Amino acid sequence: MVESFDRKRLAPLKDTVAVVGVGETDYGADYRGSGGKAVAKGEARYDSYTLASRALKRALDDAGLNKDEIDGLCTGPTLSGERASELWGLNPRWSGSGDAAQCIIEAAMAINCGLCTTVALVYGNAQRSMDTAYGGARVTGGGITSYFYYAPWGMTSQGALYALFFQRHKLLYGTTDEQLGSIAVAFRKHACMNPNAVMQKPLSLDDYMKAPYVAEPLRLFDYCLINDGGVAIILRRADMAKALKHPPVMVSGFGWSEENVDATQLRPRLKDFYHTAHRGVAAQVYPMAGVTPRDVDVFATYDSFSVHLLASLEGFGFCKEGEGGAFVQNGRIEIGGELPCNTSGGMLSESYMQSWNHQPELVRQLRGGLGARQVQGAAVAQYVHDVAGKCKSIIYTRGG
Amino acid sequence: MATARPIRSMDPYAEQFWAFTQKKELRLQQCSDCSKFRWPPGPTCDKCLSDAFEWAAIAGRGKVLSWTTFRRKYFEEYPAPHTAFVLELDEGPLFVSYPVDLDPADLREGMVVSLRWTDGEDKFGSYNLPVFGPPSP
Ligand SMILES: [Zn+2]
Repeated sequence: MVESFDRKRLAPLKDTVAVVGVGETDYGADYRGSGGKAVAKGEARYDSYTLASRALKRALDDAGLNKDEIDGLCTGPTLSGERASELWGLNPRWSGSGDAAQCIIEAAMAINCGLCTTVALVYGNAQRSMDTAYGGARVTGGGITSYFYYAPWGMTSQGALYALFFQRHKLLYGTTDEQLGSIAVAFRKHACMNPNAVMQKPLSLDDYMKAPYVAEPLRLFDYCLINDGGVAIILRRADMAKALKHPPVMVSGFGWSEENVDATQLRPRLKDFYHTAHRGVAAQVYPMAGVTPRDVDVFATYDSFSVHLLASLEGFGFCKEGEGGAFVQNGRIEIGGELPCNTSGGMLSESYMQSWNHQPELVRQLRGGLGARQVQGAAVAQYVHDVAGKCKSIIYTRGG
Repeated sequence: MATARPIRSMDPYAEQFWAFTQKKELRLQQCSDCSKFRWPPGPTCDKCLSDAFEWAAIAGRGKVLSWTTFRRKYFEEYPAPHTAFVLELDEGPLFVSYPVDLDPADLREGMVVSLRWTDGEDKFGSYNLPVFGPPSP
């Protein structure tokens, strides 16, 4: 494949933008509600803007910045940038929107182009309160997408699409349910070390195997949570990022590659496991950051389903294609193992913030001082975003 | 009365696809310029951008690529367990459907299956739904 990007253009952007502040809502406490019982689905509590506002305030406090120093704004799903700016009295010169990785990359580019210096990236989602559906008759979405095109055959839901993906992986590589289960078990172990996580009950492999299937071969614990929350991240031009409350965490590498041809008929999902997109991103993010997979100390992947981790470990070269199942066993992806993954508990066990929550976790791991959850000596952290072949990655490193 | 099914995603191209199924014809769009078959239906060929096409009858034969069994009910019309599978059609496209006259436990990678029809109805009207089972002897 012809490389359509020019490494020489990415390389100078290394370490030009830093994360200076992060903030999140109280996922676990909000989930459990005032009486300590899980908040019922559809029980309206706070709207997305309330949750996002709290996270923004915490991120600004964490950075030690005043909101008037924000001159760029990125909003995640469910928020309107215009309404958010008005609500928070922000007057951004530049704004963007998208998923977490997309917003980080867009903001880094805007900062590097001189359009702004300090960007607040803000996400809020009251999906449990709103009783949001990700499968079945209530699924919403625009036009022809694989999300619900196949409803007449009874085939919808992202989980079912990843069940097809895992079934194919099993057929081709002999990956076992126990191997897949190691992922949910590891993430839950991490969540139990994270006081802010929604799920605090230990999960054994036996518990995993005994749990009911949802879309076989995926079981209950292969699915992410549905909960409410907000996340905010403050990015700043690196030369303005010093002498704030925390040492800056550098955005050292990023990459972006998509695989959309024949996506609705599931070809890239089932015939390629999205590895073409993974390889495209890997070819950008590692050279830009000047590291290899072997240098990554802490790893996080978008994990609406456990299967995502198999795909990204293989696609980014942490193991060979088809060997993801063997890789995730024996504590290798747990804190203390050789590649701790989704150390907050991820979306399976910490909070389903469409991966916005993975960014504060990686930043905090690089800042250090997380107690039992700390990955010792963490200096390089990688996030991989892969939603249906729209793949991006960010590499963070510890700043001076 | 035909069997109620979850609602179809409808646009002028899908409408034509389903009109053929009323006659129990499984036709996919085939590009008049480069011959690529496409699915789901749409206005242009993703290979050559031509908007010229014909609705070509397909053989109705495919190989099983993957499957999932819904153990939780997602649609009133499909009580659990309900198995859906993905086939690679002889003409190239992958096609989502479900197995009939076939125990889901007997599904195998690469297994050859062939077209059957069952009925369907939603707010757009009644139609026939293409499903797949063991090849006719
Ligand atoms: Zn063509």
